[in-house]
Amino acid sequence: MSRERDLDQVLRELSPSTRREFLKRAAAMGITAAAAQAMIIKNPTIVTAGPSAKRGGTIRILSHQEVASLSPDDIGPTMQWNMITQIHNALVEVNDNFVIERVLASNYLASKDGLLYTFTLRQGVKFHDGSDFTAADVKYTFEYHMNPDNATIQGVLFKAVDKVETPDKYTVVVKMKEPNAAFLRQAATVFIVPARYHGRIGEKAYKAAPIGTGPFKLKEWRPAEFTVVEAFDQHFRGRPNADFFRQDVVPDPSVRAIALRTGTSDSSAWPLLSEDNLRFEAEPGYTVFRTSSLAVNHFPLNNDHPILSDKRVRQAMMHAIDRQRMIDDVFRGTAVIAHSIFPPALQYWYEKGVKQYPYSPDRARALLEEAGWRMGPGGVRVKDGTRLSFTCAVITGDRARRPQAEIAQQDLAGVGIEMRIVERPVATILSQLPKGELDASLFNWTYNAGGGEPDPSATLRVGAARNFSRFKNQRVEELLPAGLREVDPAKRKKIYSEVQKIVAEEVPFLHIMYWDWFIIFGRRIKGLPTSTQSGSTLIRDAYKWWIE
Amino acid sequence: MLRYLASRLMQGAVVILLVSIGTFSMMHFIPGDPVDLMVGEAQVTQEQLDMIRRKWGLDRPVHEQYLAWASNMARGDFGQSVIRTGVPVRTMIGEAAVVTAKLNLLAFFISIAIALPMGIAAAVRRYSGFDYAIMVSSTLGLALPNFWIGLMLIVLFSLLLGWLPPFGLPSWKGYIMPVAVIVANQTALLARMMRASTIEGMGEDYVRTARAKGLVERVVVSRHVVRNALLPVVTVIGYRISFLLSGTIVIENVFALPGLGQLFIESVNRVDYQVVQAIVLLLSVLVVLGNLITDMFYGYIDPRIRIG
Repeated sequence: MSRERDLDQVLRELSPSTRREFLKRAAAMGITAAAAQAMIIKNPTIVTAGPSAKRGGTIRILSHQEVASLSPDDIGPTMQWNMITQIHNALVEVNDNFVIERVLASNYLASKDGLLYTFTLRQGVKFHDGSDFTAADVKYTFEYHMNPDNATIQGVLFKAVDKVETPDKYTVVVKMKEPNAAFLRQAATVFIVPARYHGRIGEKAYKAAPIGTGPFKLKEWRPAEFTVVEAFDQHFRGRPNADFFRQDVVPDPSVRAIALRTGTSDSSAWPLLSEDNLRFEAEPGYTVFRTSSLAVNHFPLNNDHPILSDKRVRQAMMHAIDRQRMIDDVFRGTAVIAHSIFPPALQYWYEKGVKQYPYSPDRARALLEEAGWRMGPGGVRVKDGTRLSFTCAVITGDRARRPQAEIAQQDLAGVGIEMRIVERPVATILSQLPKGELDASLFNWTYNAGGGEPDPSATLRVGAARNFSRFKNQRVEELLPAGLREVDPAKRKKIYSEVQKIVAEEVPFLHIMYWDWFIIFGRRIKGLPTSTQSGSTLIRDAYKWWIE
Repeated sequence: MLRYLASRLMQGAVVILLVSIGTFSMMHFIPGDPVDLMVGEAQVTQEQLDMIRRKWGLDRPVHEQYLAWASNMARGDFGQSVIRTGVPVRTMIGEAAVVTAKLNLLAFFISIAIALPMGIAAAVRRYSGFDYAIMVSSTLGLALPNFWIGLMLIVLFSLLLGWLPPFGLPSWKGYIMPVAVIVANQTALLARMMRASTIEGMGEDYVRTARAKGLVERVVVSRHVVRNALLPVVTVIGYRISFLLSGTIVIENVFALPGLGQLFIESVNRVDYQVVQAIVLLLSVLVVLGNLITDMFYGYIDPRIRIG
C-alpha cells in the first residue's frame, strides 16, 4: 500500500467529529489541511481479543543473553527490549511495519515549522500500581532524560527539546529549540515511567522493579535465567489473552532450536543457526517471519590509515570480495548483498541509484594499479617500499563472522592485498576503532537511527562516538544537520539519498550484506500477523497473541 | 602447628592481595570499558558517553579506582556491576555460586562413589574384559568434549525421548543431564588414577608380605593396597575442590544454567570490572583455602609429611 493511500484510508476511518476537531485545531495552529493530513499516522484499531482468541496460558520465548535491567533507559539490547516493551508504553510507538502508532497519546499535532508538538493523552490509563497516567508522568519522564546530571542513555534524543509544558492534565506541549525531524520516532517513543514512583525509588531501584502502563506487569525477574510478566487486568487496550509472558535465557543456538522443536518454548527472539532457521522455514506447522536486518554487516576501515585512506584501495576491496560466495558459504544464502548504508527494509528512504561494486578481481587490480600499488614479493603489492597490508580485528569467539573474515582474506590476497586477522574483545573494538587505534574490524552495525528514522549522524559525523571508520566528508557534514532540521519527508528523502550516494562512492567501510532476521513461532501461538517488515519488533505485540 | 598455620594464612593473604592487584590491572589494561557495550546501538554522542563514564567513576585514575574498590571489598561490599546496575555484585555472585556449587558437589560425590570402586576393581582384575571396558569408557569420558556430550544428551533425552527438559532448572530433572556430563568427565579421571595407583601398590613389598602372612586377597586389597593407593587420589580430589565453582563454564552454557562460570565469562566479555574482580578474588580465596585444607589433611593421613 502506498503511503498516500494509507493516510487517506486512515482519515476515512476516523469518526467525523475527531476529524473535524483535528482539522479545526490544525487550522488554529496555522497548518494547512493537506499538511495536517500528512501528519496523521496510522492509529491502529485496538483489538486484543478477536472472536476466536483464547484466554490463559504462558507464552514462552527464548533469548541468548541475560536481561540486565528492566528500565526503559536500558532498552538497547534485544533481550531487554523484549521485556521492557511488555511492561511500558510510550506516547507513540513504531510498529513492526515502521508505522507510528498512537498509544498513550490519543492524538498529536506538529506545528508546520517543527517547533511545537502537542500531544493529547488517552484518558483512563492506569499504571500497574493502580495510579492514573497523566501529563505529569510525561513531563517527568522527558525532563528526567533532559537533565544532564542523570546521564541517561536516551538523553541525547531530547537534545533539541527546549521545554515540556502541561497546560492541563491530559495535554503535553513540547517546545523545541530547533526543528528535529527525528523527534516523533525517537524522543516521543521513549517509554513513560510513573513520576511519583520513579521519583521516590530512583532509577537504580527502578531497574529491578519497573511499573508501567503496559499489557503485562513484572512477576519475577532472574536476570541470567528468566523473566516472567503477568497479564495486567486494567490495561487500557484490554487485558492480554495470555496470563503470562516468559523469556528464558538460553545461550546455545542449537539448544534453542531443540527447545522450539520439543515445544518447551514458543519462539526464539534471537536467531538460531542458519541451517536450523531454514529447516523450520521448510516445515509446516511453524510460522516463520524472515525479514531483513536493519544493521549492515561491514568491515569498518580506519580512513586515516596511510594505506586505507586512499579511496581507490577501499573501492578495489569492494570489487575484490565475492560477497555472494560469502552469503552462500557462510550463511547458507540467508542474507542479501548490501548496496547502501540503509537496508532495503527501510523502503521509504532506501536509494537504489547508488554506485555498486560487482565482484570483479580485474577491476580491483586495475584500481590498485591506478593507485600506484605494484605487485611485489610474496604476492603482496608494494608502493614506495610499503606493503599493501593491514590488520582486521574480529570479535573474540565470533564463530559466525570469523569464517567470513577468512573468505575476505583469501579474496583480498587474490588481488595482492594482505589482511591479517586477529581477535579482540568486542568492548575493545568498539572503543578503539573510533579513535583510529585499529586498522579494520568486522561486525554488524545500524547506520540509521532505528524505528524507521534514517538519521545516521551518530555513525557518520566527524567525531561521532560511533564513527568507526573515522569517515570525514564535508558535504555529509552539511547534509546531516540539514536532514534533521527538515520536517518535510519528501525533502528529507532527497537529503538522505544524497548521503547514501556519497557513502557508496567513498566506501568509508566495506558494506557487505544484510542478514535475514528469522523469528520462528511454534504451533501453539495464534493471532500473529500475516506479514511484517521487522520480525524483531513483532515481540512487542505479544499482548495480541493467544495460545491454541 | 599453630605457627605453621599462621604463616600459611599470612602467605595466603599475600597471594590474594597480589591476585587482586593483578586482576584489577589486567582488567583495566583491556582497552574499552563496559559503557560502550551498555549503550549498544543507541544514538549516543561522545560527550554523553563521557557523562555516563563520569557517573560510574570510570574517568578517575586507575589507582584511585583500585583503592576505592579494595576498601569496599575489605568492608564486604562487592560493589556494583556497570551492566546489571540494579543488583549488587554480592547478590549476583551469591545467586550464581549456589547453582554452580549444587551442580558440582552433586557431581563430585557421585563421581567419587562410582570412580573409586571402579578403579580398584579394574586394577584387581587387570587385563580382564571389565578392565578394558573401564579403560575404553574412561578414555572416551576424558576425550569427548563436554559440550558435545551435553548436546547429545539433550538430543537423546529431550528431543527424541522427551523425558527431560532441554535447558534450565525447572525442577530436579534439570540437574540430571548437566550432572551426568560432569560425572562422566570426573569419573573417567578419578577411575584411571585409582586404577593406576592400585596397580602400583599391588607390586609393593608390604603387599607381598601380607600375602605371605596368608591374608585373603580381599583383606590384602582393602587394608593394605587401597589405603596407600588413596594418597595421590586425595591430592587430586583436594585440587578439584578449588575448582568447584569455576570448572563448569561450558556445561552452564549448553544447559543454560545461571551459574558462576556463565556469569564470569559474560562479565569478562563486557569488561564488567567489579564482577570479574569479585569472582576472581572469591576463587583465589577458595584455592588458597583448598590447598591449605588438603595439606593439613595430608599430614593427618600420612604422618611422614607432617611438618614440625
